[in-house]
Amino acid sequence: MVQRVVDWVDERVDLSGLRHFIAEKGVPVHTQKIWYYLGGMTMFLLAVQIFTGILLLLYYRPSATEAYESVQFIVTRVPFGWLIRNIHSWSANLLMAAAFAHFFSVFLLKSYRKPRELTWLTGILLLFLMLGFGFSGYLLPWNEVSFFATKVGTGIAGAVPIGGKFFLRLLRGGDDVTGATLSRFYGLHVAVLPALTTVLVAVHLLLVQRQGMSVPLSVERRVKAGEPLRQMPFFPHYVLRDVLTWYVAIAIVAALAAFYPWELGKKADSFAAVPPGIRPEWYFLAMFHTLKLVPSHVLGFEGEHLGVVGFGIAALFLVFVPFLDRRSNRGENSPVFTVLALLGLTYLVTFTIIGHYAR
Amino acid sequence: MSTALPLRVLFLVAALAVIATPRTVRAQTPPAANACRTCHASLTDARLATPANVFAQQDIHRESGFGCVDCHGGDATAADKARAHEAARGFKGVPAGQVQIATCARCHSDAELMRRFSPRQRVDQSAEYVTSVHGKRLATGDTQVATCASCHGAHGIRLVKDAKSPVFPTNVAATCGACHASQTHMARYKLTNGSPLPTNQLAEYQRSVHYAALTTGNDLSAPTCNDCHGNHGAAPPGIGSVANVCGTCHAVFSQKFATSVHQQIFDKGCVECHSNHAVMKPSDEMLGTDAHAICTTCHNGKDDKGAVAADAMRGGIERLKTALDRSGALVARLRNAGIETGAEELALGEARVHLTLARTEMHTFDPGHVEPVIAEGLKTVANVESAGARGVAELQYRRRGLALSLGAILLVVVALAMKIRQLDRTLR
Repeated sequence: MVQRVVDWVDERVDLSGLRHFIAEKGVPVHTQKIWYYLGGMTMFLLAVQIFTGILLLLYYRPSATEAYESVQFIVTRVPFGWLIRNIHSWSANLLMAAAFAHFFSVFLLKSYRKPRELTWLTGILLLFLMLGFGFSGYLLPWNEVSFFATKVGTGIAGAVPIGGKFFLRLLRGGDDVTGATLSRFYGLHVAVLPALTTVLVAVHLLLVQRQGMSVPLSVERRVKAGEPLRQMPFFPHYVLRDVLTWYVAIAIVAALAAFYPWELGKKADSFAAVPPGIRPEWYFLAMFHTLKLVPSHVLGFEGEHLGVVGFGIAALFLVFVPFLDRRSNRGENSPVFTVLALLGLTYLVTFTIIGHYAR
Repeated sequence: MSTALPLRVLFLVAALAVIATPRTVRAQTPPAANACRTCHASLTDARLATPANVFAQQDIHRESGFGCVDCHGGDATAADKARAHEAARGFKGVPAGQVQIATCARCHSDAELMRRFSPRQRVDQSAEYVTSVHGKRLATGDTQVATCASCHGAHGIRLVKDAKSPVFPTNVAATCGACHASQTHMARYKLTNGSPLPTNQLAEYQRSVHYAALTTGNDLSAPTCNDCHGNHGAAPPGIGSVANVCGTCHAVFSQKFATSVHQQIFDKGCVECHSNHAVMKPSDEMLGTDAHAICTTCHNGKDDKGAVAADAMRGGIERLKTALDRSGALVARLRNAGIETGAEELALGEARVHLTLARTEMHTFDPGHVEPVIAEGLKTVANVESAGARGVAELQYRRRGLALSLGAILLVVVALAMKIRQLDRTLR
């Protein structure tokens, strides 16, 4: 039956090129090949997000008066609504974890080196978009914690020295977090960010398929010295391994959704006192805690402004890493960038843990 | 009687003399010269120097433009003591007793004048004072009773809303206690039956729920001495009017009590069960015929209608409390397990309101009033429990579903792993 359908399509659209590509495509086999699966895992979790997000859209109402109640309706009255919402929340967190792991593995393996600069560039932009998804999605249930966390978060965005005030008003749709902010975040979450993500994911995947998997510098040097590169067929050998990891991921997400459901909390009340322990999602904790530690004034500059500028420079640095790391582009070891990546990883992990336990 | 009359006449004359003194009010404009302070501040006798120094620091009267001569008379511009203290220039020294009341009342009972400084302030303090125990005893010649300065101070007077004022709510008990908790001071006073006047009111009040609310709870609306006894018209609330005093704040309890059989029987109203100064946090244990129950003071035995009624009301309250605890634990368990329980928590809140209402209705001392409220609360709890049972079933359904799904996923994972091994073998 499947073959008949394929033949039917092949007759009308020549699939020989695609068939040939799949048959010929190989995946390098070496000691570091395990990191290859992180890209596929991130992709899979993104697909879970899109699927569950579309289902949530059927009932969610993006207004300050109805948002909370609609989420409450989803988790109490809609059949399996609780499961869909919990999977969406947990999968979002696992997606962020997978995206960060993918980012650091690529950074440490120097897979960004020539000719894969564009793959890195689209990947970094996708990481920023994922953070945007997390930030905008956090407010959508319109509960107390998300309301005040968004207030703090958009306040930080407003600390950008040039145009910060404008940026803050643009994000909030006014001077404060209101229903207008919710509408904007909803629009960002379900339209703007998905559109940008679709384009970037398409380019990212196209580049990966076109250029093939990168290999570590040591393997590349051995290949250049004439040693053959061991490979496994992409289909079905690698694809089946990918699918296996996805099954494990969905089992973990389902168990988390059933045993550790995402709390809905209290409905947001702009007149209520700020509840204690307000903090952003874990992937923003390191940045949040750093800004808390920066003194109010440093060398005559406002501490918060300096912190935000610092993070901006770090983000810009990440974008241009392939162009700055010339040694790895020449196929040489690049210890400075290895140390930088390890320092960045240590900083993120340490500050996230400290931020989690800080009062 | 023979000595009291001339004294009264003397005070009346003194008061009239003060009232007849021409006003030297120079509101909100500081005195041009103040020889009083210049001289008094340099005196070595602390009795004479301290008032001038204290008045110069923080005093609402000085800040409003009043000077020494506005209360003491005399001439603040005179350089020598004799001229400054001349009786012809209105000098009257330290106003005490009725003279002090009249001195303060000269401005504070003048509505037109007070409007310029504090439009909302009452101007009936001196009229109230006359009706107080303090005022009545002063009229009989007792100069040891409290007058204006005893509570507000004489120099360095602060607004009542100033936390450092001796009449700020948190300081009132200590201010009253300065005299009323002093056995030495109160020794000369007796109750109408001839027994000594108690001095334990402050100590008792400091054990009360009211004092705790005021001091540790920072609730400035919690009652202190003057909220029950009055301030300028301070007097013990008469028997029969206690319920009215308590009812000022506890209005609903007061209304319920007014319809009860105890209204006619309890001489001291609320005080019979709750005490007066040492009002403790009430508990359900006060009701019924248990060892700690207050009802047993009068009601004992199975044939006693009051004891039966008390047990019936207590039983109802305990039934509702037990049901609330049980359903509260169920809802908490479901919430922790991820079942949305917003509606059930709301219903539990309603049931708790019924418990409070039952405790209020209890003050009618009629089980017929309490039972319907208890029944309504139990009905709400029963609805929560049936919703909770549905929640438990849903939870079990979820767990079973998860176990089945994980089993299916495990099978697929094993199958995939076997297929991959098979493919790898062919690859080699």
